[in-house]
Amino acid sequence: MKILHGSWIPDAHANFVQTGAFYLWVETAQHSPDAPANKETSRSASNKKGFRAPHYLAKADLAAFLTEELGFQGASSKKDVGADIGVRFFELPTAQQQPLPSLELARYLETDLPEAFEWRRWPIDCYRIHRFNSQAKANGTGAGVSAFVAQLKELHFIAQYQLAEVQLGADLLFWHHYAQAFKQVILKDHYIPSLRYRKVKKTFETYPHWEIISEAYEDLIGRYTEYMPLVCTAGFAQQADAAVLAKGKSSKGRPQKEACLHEKESLLRHCSECLLHDVVTGTPLPQSFYKQIEGSLIYSCLKSTHWTTSTELSLYKQWRPWRDRIARTQSAVPFYLCFQLHSPADPDEDWEIIFKVAPKQHPSLRISLADYWQLKPHQQMALKLQLGESFEQDLLLALGDAARIYPPMWAGLETDEPASIFLDVDAAFDFLNEAAWILEDSGCKVIVPGWWTPQGRRRAKLKLKASSRSGDREDASDRSKGEPSKSYFSFETLVDYQYELSIGGEPVSEQEWQQLVEAQTPLVQFRGQWMELDQAKMQEMMDFWRQHRQDNPEVSLLDFMQMTAQQGDDVEVDFSRDRTLLTMMDRLTDTSALVPVQNPKKFEGQLRDYQKRGVSWLSYLEGLGLNGCLADDMGLGKTVQVIARLLQEEELQAEDLKKKEIPEEERMTALPPTLLIAPTSVVGNWHRELQKFAPHLKATVHHGSDRIKDKKAFKALCKRNDLLITSFSLARRDADLIDSIFWHRIVLDEAQNIKNPKAAQTKAILKLSARHRLALTGTPIENRLLDLWSIFNFLNPGYLGKESQFRKNFELPIQRNNDRQQSVVLKKLVEPFILRRVKTDESIIKDLPSKVEQKLYCNLTKEQASLYEATVRDVEKQLATADGIQRKGLILATLMKLKQICNHPAQFLQDGSDFTTERSHKLSRLSDMVSEAIADGDSLLVFTQFKEIGDSLEKYLHQTFHYNTYYLHGGTSRKKRDQMMAEFQDPETDPSIFILSLKAGGVGITLTKANHVFHFDRWWNPAVEDQATDRAFRIGQKKNVFVHKFVSVGTLEERIDQMIEDKKKLAGAIVGADESWLTELDNDAFKRLIALNKSAIMD
Amino acid sequence: MSNFTRTWWGETFLATIEQFTDKGRLSRGRSYANGRKVESFEVEGDRVTAHIKGSVNPYYGVYTEPLYVTTLEFEPISQAKWAAVIALMASKVSILSKLLVGEIPDNIEESFETLGLRLLPEKGDFTGHCTCPDWSNPCKHIAGVYYLLAAEIDRDPLKLFELRGLAQEDLLAGLSDTPLGIAFSKELTAEAAPPEPVESLHTRPEFVSVARSVSLNDFWQGEKRLPSTIETPQPTNVPAILIKKQGDYPPFWQRNNSFIEVMEDFYTRVRTKNGNILD
Repeated sequence: MKILHGSWIPDAHANFVQTGAFYLWVETAQHSPDAPANKETSRSASNKKGFRAPHYLAKADLAAFLTEELGFQGASSKKDVGADIGVRFFELPTAQQQPLPSLELARYLETDLPEAFEWRRWPIDCYRIHRFNSQAKANGTGAGVSAFVAQLKELHFIAQYQLAEVQLGADLLFWHHYAQAFKQVILKDHYIPSLRYRKVKKTFETYPHWEIISEAYEDLIGRYTEYMPLVCTAGFAQQADAAVLAKGKSSKGRPQKEACLHEKESLLRHCSECLLHDVVTGTPLPQSFYKQIEGSLIYSCLKSTHWTTSTELSLYKQWRPWRDRIARTQSAVPFYLCFQLHSPADPDEDWEIIFKVAPKQHPSLRISLADYWQLKPHQQMALKLQLGESFEQDLLLALGDAARIYPPMWAGLETDEPASIFLDVDAAFDFLNEAAWILEDSGCKVIVPGWWTPQGRRRAKLKLKASSRSGDREDASDRSKGEPSKSYFSFETLVDYQYELSIGGEPVSEQEWQQLVEAQTPLVQFRGQWMELDQAKMQEMMDFWRQHRQDNPEVSLLDFMQMTAQQGDDVEVDFSRDRTLLTMMDRLTDTSALVPVQNPKKFEGQLRDYQKRGVSWLSYLEGLGLNGCLADDMGLGKTVQVIARLLQEEELQAEDLKKKEIPEEERMTALPPTLLIAPTSVVGNWHRELQKFAPHLKATVHHGSDRIKDKKAFKALCKRNDLLITSFSLARRDADLIDSIFWHRIVLDEAQNIKNPKAAQTKAILKLSARHRLALTGTPIENRLLDLWSIFNFLNPGYLGKESQFRKNFELPIQRNNDRQQSVVLKKLVEPFILRRVKTDESIIKDLPSKVEQKLYCNLTKEQASLYEATVRDVEKQLATADGIQRKGLILATLMKLKQICNHPAQFLQDGSDFTTERSHKLSRLSDMVSEAIADGDSLLVFTQFKEIGDSLEKYLHQTFHYNTYYLHGGTSRKKRDQMMAEFQDPETDPSIFILSLKAGGVGITLTKANHVFHFDRWWNPAVEDQATDRAFRIGQKKNVFVHKFVSVGTLEERIDQMIEDKKKLAGAIVGADESWLTELDNDAFKRLIALNKSAIMD
Repeated sequence: MSNFTRTWWGETFLATIEQFTDKGRLSRGRSYANGRKVESFEVEGDRVTAHIKGSVNPYYGVYTEPLYVTTLEFEPISQAKWAAVIALMASKVSILSKLLVGEIPDNIEESFETLGLRLLPEKGDFTGHCTCPDWSNPCKHIAGVYYLLAAEIDRDPLKLFELRGLAQEDLLAGLSDTPLGIAFSKELTAEAAPPEPVESLHTRPEFVSVARSVSLNDFWQGEKRLPSTIETPQPTNVPAILIKKQGDYPPFWQRNNSFIEVMEDFYTRVRTKNGNILD
């Protein structure tokens, strides 16, 4: 992992013209083998007790890293990145003669940082970002320093989509944010040619310059100085600055108590001005343009090969008042100037812009000037209390300013009491389209007629009228019940559609349309109301309509949905003719319109309201022959919704057959089986949940070395079962076998597992055939576009186009260029197919208890199973001979060992072997769920009773995923504990994981920022677990808390869990506070307790 | 087209003399105005006085380089009539607003006409005099002075009022009882701000001492978290709004082409030709 840092560093000298450049440096944990000097320091650092010192990539490594990993090219010659690498100096927190690592790196290294530190300036090899710009060079100005804007955008992209093993430091992220926001100055033309006046001894010089004049820019500077980390100000071009030296405080390499840094605001302004200057003077301009400005100030501002100095003050004197008047803002006067456009009732009459003023304190109190001039002097005086004493002077000046921006205004100023102007229809159109914006931008308020506002606007559109072909419309009453039945769209539903010309939603005849196209003005009164016309567009629409009116096309429902989502603004889709289609599209786009299903009769439990709506959505979608993705937040119960859907489907099927009066014995009630593919670590959980909620459903797990491999036997197996559960890896390995069945439905749990379209696993799954497909995921897939595509490629192949098309049409425009239009189109496309409820939804919160508890059943891996079995065998032998205290000790030790095995083989073996997910499904499941929670911005707690597991978990979560972790165990000092708690709870801290030992974390701690609590291993007393859980579930907790308890299937964990549940049922009988009550069990009972159920092993 | 004027009133002013002066004298006059022959040029009230170096011309008996005195005198409008004009101007926001940024409203003569007057002089509204031997009036020297005067008026239209007999103090005094007149006087008499000397072209990055007590978090992460989304500013629909407020041909723009048009073109190019940075 490499942490990228960077900063704007001003040039060393403090000459009159002082520029700077953006420098990039890379911090890493690894020491380069061929850097002997650093080896030295690293040894000394690691020998000392304390933090691990960072390493900074030196020139050769930096050049190699930038070119090879990040694809940098040299600015002047393609290959030579090294030419732009040189030493810069950074004032960094320092301790023990070593710079401290950045927080990003410290987190990664898991190193504790000392509380006391001093400051020292460290030399670091930096890459100067610039670009060779012939234009700028010809102008003798900027050195292409603005190149960093684009470069940072690229780096951000690389880091965000993990295209390289890099992370952006907060400093680099800051500069990226700022540079993007700063673009507004250039995009809004908020800068002017300018002169700077410099005193030189007794005389003076003037320098051409570009000056930023913008209230928005001042606001930007204000906001970003607050965001700016101090490290952004710590870069220097030299070891010690003249200013510091002058004060006699040489910091030459010696540690200082105080840091000498750049002041934030001035540094930000310096960077901004250099950036603007570079962009403006680097703009390619043709010779013809230079001819237009020859000899002028603009020319000097753009093209001075050297900064021209002038001994003549006249130019400055001419320029200065002009600049001052531009800089003088509207904010100085206490009122707004308002312009209200009135459209005439009779189209032959003129339009009017009425002049009004409104006090800034009461902007809604608009006074028309016509009224004002009529007032008696004492009434005017009263108003001036709000409008300002010199109101009339200010007003008239402001009107003059407005007229200069919008010249037709002059006509209204041929009087000393201006009140309004009149416009013809073309001028009114220009006003609406252009002048209104300019006036608003320069601080006036513009009030436009209601029909022009986005809400009130009528548009000429093509209406796409659609209706379903197959739905027999007579029995519409049947459909209104909201129950899926066959009278709905069938699988092969076709949609008819035709185009119609319409305005403001009303149909328009071809003749009327033609008249509008031929209208002489862009604003017309049509059927008594004003509207805007875009004749060129309307002509196009008419041509399109003429081409298509003859055909009477039909498409499949899916194609129809694709077509409507991709229609531009010119086409309005209308289903109003067809109630079936209308209700259908309504329900697809507004899931709150779904009628919750009844709790299925055979469902052993109670669905929550939103879960009933979820089941209803699933059945509705499947009824239409569409395939969706259930993407509810983790903890909201995707599993039970799927199980309920299976039951509900069965019920409907039975009812259907009953209606048809088929004798019971002849009914083929059983539907073909559903195939469920899940990660190995959750297969066991599915099986257990099915047993719990739908015990009568026949489900089998396809796994293990003794699984059926013969096709015939496999078919028979499938016939016997309602559901077959398998893992992703077996779906690939047994692809042939699985593909031999036409499935009723394929459910993909954790569907992001097929995100790589090239993986054999993905390809195998895509080949399978099924009537319905369903994807489940808890990660917000709409933000990871390629994952989204992959899932849709499984659900509705072709709907989002081929991968390359998708990349071109959506991924690149949206992720790289923030293309809003395409992102709206994509949203429209996928929305009907994704049901995502988040736990912060108002309706979900209402529906959920404040604490939601669930068990997570995990299987043992083969390795765990063999360790477990060996231990059990060993104990059984010893148990025969053990007695008294010895027997007690043996039982307790066994329980301990078995629990360790259930956690992870490495914990049991204590051989320092790899702590990997392959060896424990429990760990694998935990890390999946943790990443899901973190991606959602949630913080979480993980409890364990074992210190070894706590250590390993922290290390694992931290080093593998670089999550922000905290770890509290028995050995943590009180001070450290309080500090960690405060940091964890701080809203400014990133979502974090707090690992706690069950005992140390049990009392006196409030960690309400967490809303997920994991119990990695089980304690035999639920009261202890509950008390731990309450760290998060406390006063101050505003979110629902999800409690996840791991249970290893087929092991003592599961049996003890069962016992606890049974005891709970038995009037909450109290089990002992620790495990000693288990020693009271007789030998046989104990053997039964710890015996391993072999069917619960998963590879 | 001449190079001396770029405004409608400058053009009109020149057109007057061009109507009754022969082409040769006009063109010689232009070169006088352009060249280094004008020793002095002074406008005082309604009278212009210039000293112009003549050329040696044995045909006219001129053997040493002469220095001619050329004067132009304009017909003043009477004080009483000016009072009426000022009252009329004060009643129109448009007129004073434009004068304020150095423009003469293009319909100003309509206002003058209602009083039977005109602002821009015509043939008869001025007399020229020159000490040169040319018998023709206007001679090339008078023409030259006229060109210089046109250029002057082009830049500072209030000079025109002075030429027609209205001193600036009288103008301001006459305007002092209307709100706009007051604003106008204020702007005109505002003292030009003294030049503001700066120590550096760009804002100078300053240094600060940061105490040791600063936390590692402040140093590496900043006191406030960055927003989760990156701002994406959109380009303006209409170019050069900022500079349009001050009208075309600002005082420092000596060229004859439109400043606003140039700046519109310029801003648009900067916005559209820097795709690598601005996209």
